[in-house]
Amino acid sequence: MNNDDRSSRPLSASRRLFLQRTSLLTGMIALGGGSYLYNPKGVWAAAPIKVGIATDLTGAISWGGIPNSQVAKMVIDQINKGGGLLGRPLQMILEDTATNEQLAVTKVRKLVTQDKVDVVFGGITSSMRNAIKDTIVNRGKTLYIYPQLYEGKECTPYLFCTGPTPAQQCDTLIPWLIKNGGKKFYLPSADYVWPHTLNAYARKAIVKNGGEVIGEEYFPVDHNEYSATVNKIMSSGVNVVFNTTIPPGVAAFFKQLYEAGFLKNGGRLSCVYYDENAITITPPHEVEGLASCLDYFRAINDPFGNQLQAEYGKLFGNTSYNAGSGSTGMYRGIKLWEAAVKEAKSVNREPVAAALDHAKISDGPGGGCEMVPGTRHVKMNMYTAVSKGGKYEIVEKSKGPVMPGECA
Amino acid sequence: MTIIPFLFDVLAYSAIFVLVVLGLGVIASMMGIFNFAHGEFVLLGAYTVYLFIDNGLPVWAGMVAAPLAVGAVGLALERVAIRRFYATPIVAMLGTYAIGLALRETVRSLLGGQFYSVTAPLIGSFSIGEISVSRWRTAVILITVAVMVGCYLLLTRTRFGLQVRAALENPALARASGISTSRVYAATFAFGAALAGLAGGLMVPIYAMSADMGVPFLIKSFLAVMLGGMGSFEGAIAGAALVGATSAALPWAIKPVVADVVVFIIAIAIVKVRPEGLLSKWRN
Amino acid sequence: MSQSTELSTSSLPLRKVIPWVELGLLATSLILPVFADDFWTLFLTRVFILGLLALSFDLVWGYAGILSFSQALFFGMAGYCTALLATEAGITSVLVLLPVAGLVGLIVSLILAFIVILGRRVPTTVFVALGTLTGSYVVERLARGWSYVGGQNGIPSLPRLTLGNHEIAEGVWFYYMALAILLGIYVALKFLTRSQLGLVLAGIRQHETRITFFGYRVQHVKGIVFALAGLIAGLAGGMYAFHEGYVGPGQLSPVLSTQVVLYVLFGGVGTLIGAVIGAGMIEYLSFMLSQEYQRLWPIILGLLLLVIVMFRPTGLIGFLVSDRERIGSFGRPDDAAAKNDTDKNPA
Repeated sequence: MNNDDRSSRPLSASRRLFLQRTSLLTGMIALGGGSYLYNPKGVWAAAPIKVGIATDLTGAISWGGIPNSQVAKMVIDQINKGGGLLGRPLQMILEDTATNEQLAVTKVRKLVTQDKVDVVFGGITSSMRNAIKDTIVNRGKTLYIYPQLYEGKECTPYLFCTGPTPAQQCDTLIPWLIKNGGKKFYLPSADYVWPHTLNAYARKAIVKNGGEVIGEEYFPVDHNEYSATVNKIMSSGVNVVFNTTIPPGVAAFFKQLYEAGFLKNGGRLSCVYYDENAITITPPHEVEGLASCLDYFRAINDPFGNQLQAEYGKLFGNTSYNAGSGSTGMYRGIKLWEAAVKEAKSVNREPVAAALDHAKISDGPGGGCEMVPGTRHVKMNMYTAVSKGGKYEIVEKSKGPVMPGECA
Repeated sequence: MTIIPFLFDVLAYSAIFVLVVLGLGVIASMMGIFNFAHGEFVLLGAYTVYLFIDNGLPVWAGMVAAPLAVGAVGLALERVAIRRFYATPIVAMLGTYAIGLALRETVRSLLGGQFYSVTAPLIGSFSIGEISVSRWRTAVILITVAVMVGCYLLLTRTRFGLQVRAALENPALARASGISTSRVYAATFAFGAALAGLAGGLMVPIYAMSADMGVPFLIKSFLAVMLGGMGSFEGAIAGAALVGATSAALPWAIKPVVADVVVFIIAIAIVKVRPEGLLSKWRN
Repeated sequence: MSQSTELSTSSLPLRKVIPWVELGLLATSLILPVFADDFWTLFLTRVFILGLLALSFDLVWGYAGILSFSQALFFGMAGYCTALLATEAGITSVLVLLPVAGLVGLIVSLILAFIVILGRRVPTTVFVALGTLTGSYVVERLARGWSYVGGQNGIPSLPRLTLGNHEIAEGVWFYYMALAILLGIYVALKFLTRSQLGLVLAGIRQHETRITFFGYRVQHVKGIVFALAGLIAGLAGGMYAFHEGYVGPGQLSPVLSTQVVLYVLFGGVGTLIGAVIGAGMIEYLSFMLSQEYQRLWPIILGLLLLVIVMFRPTGLIGFLVSDRERIGSFGRPDDAAAKNDTDKNPA
């Protein structure tokens, strides 16, 4: 068979095309490509302070990452409108970590080595935080602020956490649950670090308050069949189901629990990551009476929170604003960092970290908050809320800010 | 008395799984390609129902529309892309993987990355003594049985069904006998997609609507097809029933995390020992 | 190796393009750190490591006809084992960790080979694909659930590799080390595929039964090749973990395994250099697309891959080289694939 003839003529044409494309790509490499650079508006005398935001804009966690990035943009624009920081504007550089730890490391590397940002905010899941923290903090020698509710125990120097910890979520909630639900608890959970660690803390709190843990079970996150567990719950007189299964499995679990009649029999459901956005995952009747404990709910109805929410809504329309996390934690993180930079009068890591260690802000979603010195975690107000007809009602506010109880 | 919830649980999950696998199995047996986008067909069925609800239309209408819509999408994909892959099954795997990726991410951005709940057409449960049995899940079982019976009748009583069965058992001979395999393939692919779409539409009130809802089905479905044996309708059902039942039953006895893994190991072991599957009609 | 001896009506002599591509890429790689910034040096180091992983797949698929969806399994397991050695036992010497990584890859691949590939009955391509995919899936699920290895979080904050007293920091040092290893393995594979073993592999790829009747121990050959590919993948995995500074279940997942298959198909099967080019191109494309289209880039990537798979199944390298040179004179992998399937599943 004569293949040579067919291939030698188009060869030169496609080879030329290939070379053209290569030189174009080489050009792009040299220029560094594009990225999502949010330049400060207006004319400024001084060079910008670079703020890196690394969050999941695509992939399974995009529901959290997109609000994160939007809150960050809103706050940074607010700061710039107010004259910037130390007379310099803030420039936001946004990178998508794509819920893919492999890709995330490269993105974060870009922020730290190529863009040379002065601080990085981001990461949502603990696995993402663990994947990128080394590149930022050790290899990149940059400050890292993690805004999400998580399991605690993150005590890496120069890594500050502004989301609720297990202690904050359980210390006020568990006593309330025992008073308003019952003494017998069941802990159905997703099988990864956060539920394990949260359950360990919750168990201690439950026992301390006179309750009893009937069972603790772990499932893969996409597990759909919970009949065995529901059966156990119904037959052992459990009063409170302290749930830490997460989407997608949680929808099936709540439905199967409801259909077995748990709520009808007076059972109380509790889920500490269920904020006003998560509640849409399940129909209202399946989560009637669900108790959650977070740092913010729209239902708090305080003027500062309302105004923030309104501004966010004006800029970003119908997109969600997540509590306990990204949105509130991101707000807190950026404002605390701003306060620290003002105190340190510099953006270098050492002085800012020292100032951030005891930074406080007087206003924020759910109220002001303050870093607990030496721990790199934030003490904040916690609110217990109950779902009625698909909407949250605040039933208890913590008496003052709750300690995070981490890295003491 | 826990035997009733247990059996019901197993039956309910297997019913959905059978619908998903049947579509995949028929495509794999006839065209020899493993459709890596099959999970996304399930997703599209669920998404159709979600769209109906989001626009204020009744949910049952969405469920009727789901197989039709996904069947149409399947047909379009087959005409445009899939038909190029019939000669090279390996390329087919990756081509369908790329299609699945594009579909999944498109739905994800349309959903804004969120999870949504969809209420079933039949809410609540009816009681047998102390036990509550979900109304909708019962309906799903009945619908699946009806669809199986319908498929069986279609395959055995119609001329088209005869052509499909011929092409399934021995594609080369079918072509030699003058059956237009091109049309049969297109119809079969659309049919497989429609089944997946129906499964997605039926399951979305039970599980939440999200862009990743089709992913867990994929590998398990492939194993079910191999286990049941390629080349026949009954094979796919048998494989799906076996894998589905094991997946639903094992977590009652052992930890769910381990159960998940054990199902795969059992399936692979069986296929290794009996490569043609349990009910294969292919002459090997 | 037989050269073209057929009559050609073309006036151009048939030139071999691949060696020029190889030399060109090598020359560019050697001098790149001089004028590229730190980020791109780091980016390319990662590409070299992933290219090595892709090479392991090209070896088993392009040359031996084993469709393995588990190369990432060996990659990840080697990463985990070396990470544990570094964090639990304090061993960071590159002279210990990299060979251990290769060894882990070798052992795991042999185990998987016994389960999925070897045995009295010759498995179908589909079974091998599904079996390896399942293996990868099962191990990932287990890794996600096992707290000793960090569960979903994996093992973070790994120390750097050391050579004596010097740390091999990511950057120029790591770049040249990765390049050297890639080059070494590449040259070794080139020799392998041109050796007697390579001819046997070509025969197996084209018609396994026939080669068995010639008296070759096909099972042994397949096992050897699969184990060798496992070793290479493991080596890459060890490097990757320490370059990125962490190891996680994503590194042994079916997603990464499928990505490797895409790398090689994109670049061009059966050419070795195609695997490396494919890895580089897809990584670069993913990165650039996600910069330009932050929310939509996965859709665009999926569509792009689909278009390439539909219209250019021979991969990027097919733009440059003739079919003949792409597969040498060993036959055509695509036809072999279809033929293998018809041999094993007479339909």
